Amino acid sequence: MAEGPNILIVDDEAVVIKSAERILKGVGYSIDGALGGREAIMKIEHNDYDLVFTDLKMPEVDGITLIRWIKNSKPSLGIVIITGYPSQETMKDALEIGIIDYVPKPFTPAVLLDVTKRAEQWVVDKKPEKDTVAEAFPPSMLAEIDRIIYSYKDKPGSSIPVLQRCQEIVGYLPPFVQKRIARGLHIPPAEIHSIVSFYSFFTMKPRGDHTINVCLGTACYVKGIDSVLNKIKNVLKIDVGETTEDRVFSLEAVRCLGCCALAPVMIIDHDTHSSLTPKNVIGALNKYSPFPLETESLPAEETVTMGGVEEIISVEGKEG
Amino acid sequence: MPRLSKEDLKKIQQQHVENSALGDGGIRGKVIMHMGTCGITAGAESVMEALTDEIQKHNIRDVAISASGCAGLCGREPIATIEMQGCEPIKYCDLNDEKIRKIVVEHILEGVPALDFALPMKDEMPFYRLQESRVLRNIGYIDPEKINEYIARDGYSAAAKALHDMTAEEIITVVKDSGIRGRGGAGFPTGLKWEFASKSQAGQKYMLCNGDEGDPGAFMDRSVMEADPHSVIEGMIIGAKAIGSSKGVIYVRAEYPLAVKRLQLAIDACYEAGLLGNNILGSGFDFDLEIYLGAGAFVCGEETALMRSIEGKRGMPRPRPPFPAHKGLWDKPSVLNNVETLAQIAPILLKGVQWYRSVGTEKSPGTKVFCLAGAIKNVGLIEVPMGIPLRTIVYDIGGGMEKKRKFKAVQMGGPSGGCIPESILDTPVTYEDIVKTGAIMGSGGMVFMDDNNCMVSVAKFFLGFTSDESCGKCPPCRIGTRIMLDLLTDITEGRGKEGDVATLEDLSADIIATSLCGLGQTAPNPVLSTVRYFRDEYESHIKEQWCKAGICRNLCSFWIDENLCKGCGACLRGCPSKAIIGEKKQPHKIIQEVCVQCRSCFEACKFESIKILPAHYNGDPYELVGSSVAERQK
Repeated sequence: MAEGPNILIVDDEAVVIKSAERILKGVGYSIDGALGGREAIMKIEHNDYDLVFTDLKMPEVDGITLIRWIKNSKPSLGIVIITGYPSQETMKDALEIGIIDYVPKPFTPAVLLDVTKRAEQWVVDKKPEKDTVAEAFPPSMLAEIDRIIYSYKDKPGSSIPVLQRCQEIVGYLPPFVQKRIARGLHIPPAEIHSIVSFYSFFTMKPRGDHTINVCLGTACYVKGIDSVLNKIKNVLKIDVGETTEDRVFSLEAVRCLGCCALAPVMIIDHDTHSSLTPKNVIGALNKYSPFPLETESLPAEETVTMGGVEEIISVEGKEG
Repeated sequence: MPRLSKEDLKKIQQQHVENSALGDGGIRGKVIMHMGTCGITAGAESVMEALTDEIQKHNIRDVAISASGCAGLCGREPIATIEMQGCEPIKYCDLNDEKIRKIVVEHILEGVPALDFALPMKDEMPFYRLQESRVLRNIGYIDPEKINEYIARDGYSAAAKALHDMTAEEIITVVKDSGIRGRGGAGFPTGLKWEFASKSQAGQKYMLCNGDEGDPGAFMDRSVMEADPHSVIEGMIIGAKAIGSSKGVIYVRAEYPLAVKRLQLAIDACYEAGLLGNNILGSGFDFDLEIYLGAGAFVCGEETALMRSIEGKRGMPRPRPPFPAHKGLWDKPSVLNNVETLAQIAPILLKGVQWYRSVGTEKSPGTKVFCLAGAIKNVGLIEVPMGIPLRTIVYDIGGGMEKKRKFKAVQMGGPSGGCIPESILDTPVTYEDIVKTGAIMGSGGMVFMDDNNCMVSVAKFFLGFTSDESCGKCPPCRIGTRIMLDLLTDITEGRGKEGDVATLEDLSADIIATSLCGLGQTAPNPVLSTVRYFRDEYESHIKEQWCKAGICRNLCSFWIDENLCKGCGACLRGCPSKAIIGEKKQPHKIIQEVCVQCRSCFEACKFESIKILPAHYNGDPYELVGSSVAERQK
């Protein structure tokens, strides 16, 4: 998200909208306001928002009705409620429909900023999951998952091998796959999730076609893996744990690949690349990339100082 | 292959010796291509192709080609060993397609070894001469994917002896008397562990192998599993008989695909040959063995965490007692041994206690495998007798530091260990002596550091590791390591305050005293040992804002000593921010405002004219680090 998210604030009191606007605009969010549920619905239909902050008690169309409507027609929109009287009943309703968080009224700037930040994070995290819902799993893949589950069904302690093999097939472990495994193995989904989140081998984000595993072991550290990793990050414009936009590369850091004698090393898919430097790493990546990444062939340069004025003349230029 | 009996092992041995003996009528020579992970990475596969192609081209039929594991000298891979009739085996290193073709013509066809590409003979090379191969006895000699080659080198004879001729008590007595201690790091006597488990009463017991080699900087278990998987399996069969277990699991990291593949092939071959499963070697003893893949959690190297992981749960440790020998996997008595420990059980049974104790010291008998990595010349895998001084490992076996730089420290024991400086390099390698230095024996990773390494950053690196890998169960480890990491980050980024070092020491004591498992109890070691030996570096970071190694970017500036600069322009060409100016053959200069402290000039300079100063230094550099008057006059 290059700029802060678009936020719509819904409250029947204009002063609440004004004060929230003053706090949030200062830190780069774009804010819009609506003085009631009806106005909010009209605005949401015509504009693109990322988050909606809404009061619960409003005349005519109240907060709960608004939330229900949003969940039906724009499910990807994140909802935060602002309320002065969080009664247990209304909170329960709101939670059941699926809100991110709530801001108590009256609020201090710190509280509002904090909640907004968390909600923003939620929206960011939520994005890839939206993709996965859209991405249909082919029936053959599902059949294969079920087959794996079946073959391990009666074996105690089989959750980790099953997850490993399913990840091999799907590439990652979205909630959908985790739930299917949980059902198949008769284990609570929460326990499956706890395993997936504990072991670094498992990932819940979709991976690119090629996974780059950069070794951060001691030997690689001593031999300068830092600069290599930074180079990869810069060239692919992703951080560790992320995937490039074109889904070609995913970048992961591993603790030690046990190839310390060849440090610094990385593994792309199943091939080990050794003795890396910020220069030769691009060549290694290019073997996998459909298009050449930054070809760094800077011409050799020579600086000549003449009377305090320095000119950089490339060798090629000189010859030409 | 039919199920083998004890007698069949002998037959296979004899047959194999006959078949592989070099001589008239049979084969005239052998080529062994070393194909471990390091060899394959360095290009051994393509060299192998070129080799077979060249052999076919010349229609050579009396030379056998085989693949084997690592040759130990990982930095010089690809390596091939060629043995021709009547000659000593010769190792060729740094191979490529072109070289191997030449070698085939010269050595195999014409009979003249191509010594230009060869390593010196074993006896002439300190790297090999000072080693004692016990764990690595088969590595580089046998094809790990062929069970007969293992059997031919006394493989499974120890298992046969244990199953047919020995009682469980006898096995335990031998292992106890040999004095072998767990090679995973802590050094608990293996025989005792087995005795506890054998005395536990239970229907089912488990024999487990710890192949979750998580220590960064260590790869000996990978090499053993890749190059000699049967030695681990044999050790497990013997252990299983000793404790009375019928089920075993080898827990291996998923990051070691080649090791997993070769272990699986070895297990399959054993089942086929009746060396695993029911009625092993006709002795009536049953033992089933399977592989369990780890999922990338360092803490799973801890025994109780590893067992939780096999149960399919989060790998979190639990308090001991009860010890696993009483309540381990699935709450049944279990023994967990390290790969390296298991790999040397068979020779102990065959050759006896006397033989095992013939090297090493009274309390630490036998040999230890180490991995040399980092800024040392001979990186690779070595096995040395216990009690050898560290200095011998660094300067004789390791060949000294790379690029003739100055030795600064050797890090032993990974994130649980510490750094050992030059001044105490004469420490003998035994469990007790290493602990005295503040490091630990650990699993055997040795990472060497030269004067290009900042010890505060090294400590920060390890704390980053442990705080990341802490499972989060106990607060001292989860929160304590995080606070220590924050303090170290502050120091390396120039926000260090006086008293930070004392705070680090206090925190360390608390974390060591109150953490639940080995991970937390040893996590502060890298900090304590660097504070102990390199306190001056911490002080200069905090007080002078000066990282003398030039690693912490906020705490250094680079400056060219004009008396030493030859004006070669190497620094200038490599500078990414064009911060260096100067005419050819005239002293160059760094424009401090433009410099980003990337160190590239420092590394490019061949005349040591680039010096590292404190950040934003205003004084006279010559007084601080510059060339002496004598040098200047030159």
